[in-house]
Amino acid sequence: MVQTLGDSTILVRFGSRLDENANRRAIGFAAALESEPVAGIVEIVPSLVSVLLRYDPLISRHQDIEGEIRLRLHGALEDLAGATRRIGVRFGGETGPDLEEVAGLLKVSAEEFMARHNAVPLRVLATGFAPGFVYCGFHPETLVLPRRDKVRALVPAGSVLFAAGQTAIAATDIPTGWHVIGHTDFSNFNPAAEPPTRLRAGDSVRFEVT
Amino acid sequence: MTATLVIDRAGPLVTVQDAGRFGYLAHGISASGPMDAGAFKRAGLLAGSGETAGIEFSMLGLDLTVAEGEAVMGWDGGTFEVSINGRTQSWPGSALLAAGDRLSISAATGGNYGYLRFGGEIDVPVVMGSRATSMRARIGGLEGRALRAGDRLAVIGDGEASGPVAARPRVEGPIRFVWGLHAEVFSAELREKFVPSAFRISSMMDRMGVRLRDETAVFAEARILSLVSDPIVVGDIQILGDGTPIVLGRDHQPTGGYPRIGTIISADLDRFFQLRPNAELVFAPVGTDHAQALLRSGIA
Repeated sequence: MVQTLGDSTILVRFGSRLDENANRRAIGFAAALESEPVAGIVEIVPSLVSVLLRYDPLISRHQDIEGEIRLRLHGALEDLAGATRRIGVRFGGETGPDLEEVAGLLKVSAEEFMARHNAVPLRVLATGFAPGFVYCGFHPETLVLPRRDKVRALVPAGSVLFAAGQTAIAATDIPTGWHVIGHTDFSNFNPAAEPPTRLRAGDSVRFEVT
Repeated sequence: MTATLVIDRAGPLVTVQDAGRFGYLAHGISASGPMDAGAFKRAGLLAGSGETAGIEFSMLGLDLTVAEGEAVMGWDGGTFEVSINGRTQSWPGSALLAAGDRLSISAATGGNYGYLRFGGEIDVPVVMGSRATSMRARIGGLEGRALRAGDRLAVIGDGEASGPVAARPRVEGPIRFVWGLHAEVFSAELREKFVPSAFRISSMMDRMGVRLRDETAVFAEARILSLVSDPIVVGDIQILGDGTPIVLGRDHQPTGGYPRIGTIISADLDRFFQLRPNAELVFAPVGTDHAQALLRSGIA
């Protein structure tokens, strides 16, 4: 679905709830536009189930951009074969204060939780919420928990977060309502680097105990 | 021409800004840039700044002294009192300041944001293609933070000839918006009520967002759903879980999951962000074509 968002962007949406299919299509469509650009589009932002496209309204008319995008949607989407990255996590302890509680809620031991959490590679679903913050998914249904009732005002960069069948990595200090299960030294935001983030939507991530 | 400036006093939210850091939303970083882009541009024309960075200040202004060298400075945005060495200057205006001169900008009588620009570039590092300060990502400007008393800034290079400055826009009336991403989440009845209803700017406002007071309880009964997150754009009118409307600013969060009933049009953003706490406003819907035509005409 192609929607106008303000007078300088359009949003192409592939679903109204987060699932594997909608996310893969959003990432694939963004990748297709990256490899074969549409004239007038100056920024492509893949998100969980949608792609934001920014254009310059002083140069392009929204009808022209939207028309071209509708044509492109009929074309094949790229199924992006992303990079694979191993990310070491120190589970539990002071920097993973919710590990025991999460394991308890899932009725497994902490060791069993870590084993299941790391069993299968996850996909980077999107970057968003904060600089370099990535959502990775999806865990099987046996590893799905809602967020915490209480929001933590600040967790440090490198915090590994768990909720809603996903694992997220905070690349900066952020507030969060997710369960904090561990910490990684992997840094996904370096403003001095180009690009400033290392993980891309579609990449494969394998978490490991360090 | 070079100059060293020393900040003697800084109100809240005094930041280095340039046109903005576009192109990094996919990495989780919004563009920043001046809240009133038109005023930033006009101040730059007065100073002969070209594309260089300037200083954005808020209602309490700032004082600075030229410690060394000299620099052309231009100012505009809102209505502030400005003086050089105690002598009142016109607002907007410009002047050449030399070593020992003290510029004092205080007490806005209108608007929230003013701009000071220079005939030269502010010597702070370029971060991801821009010198703009992002208060959210804590990057850009001086150490990714607001300026404070004691800070020293160097202005280097020669400015351009100062150009003719277009008159300040004098548009009044409703803030125009295009219906938003999730307009259909709200009932037709609620949308009909939204348009003529009066809102007020609350005191909870900064570069990230402006909370509105819903005076006639338009959204009191709305059941606000939490949606899957989508990218956010500046001017989005988002309705929080408790029914509070918030308009997203230049340092907006990159993504959000609250429903957006509309998006303020580009041509009205500057005017909206200059509305002060307690100011009353009403919204008026326009089509995307109309919004873009207003932008192209430049008369807003």
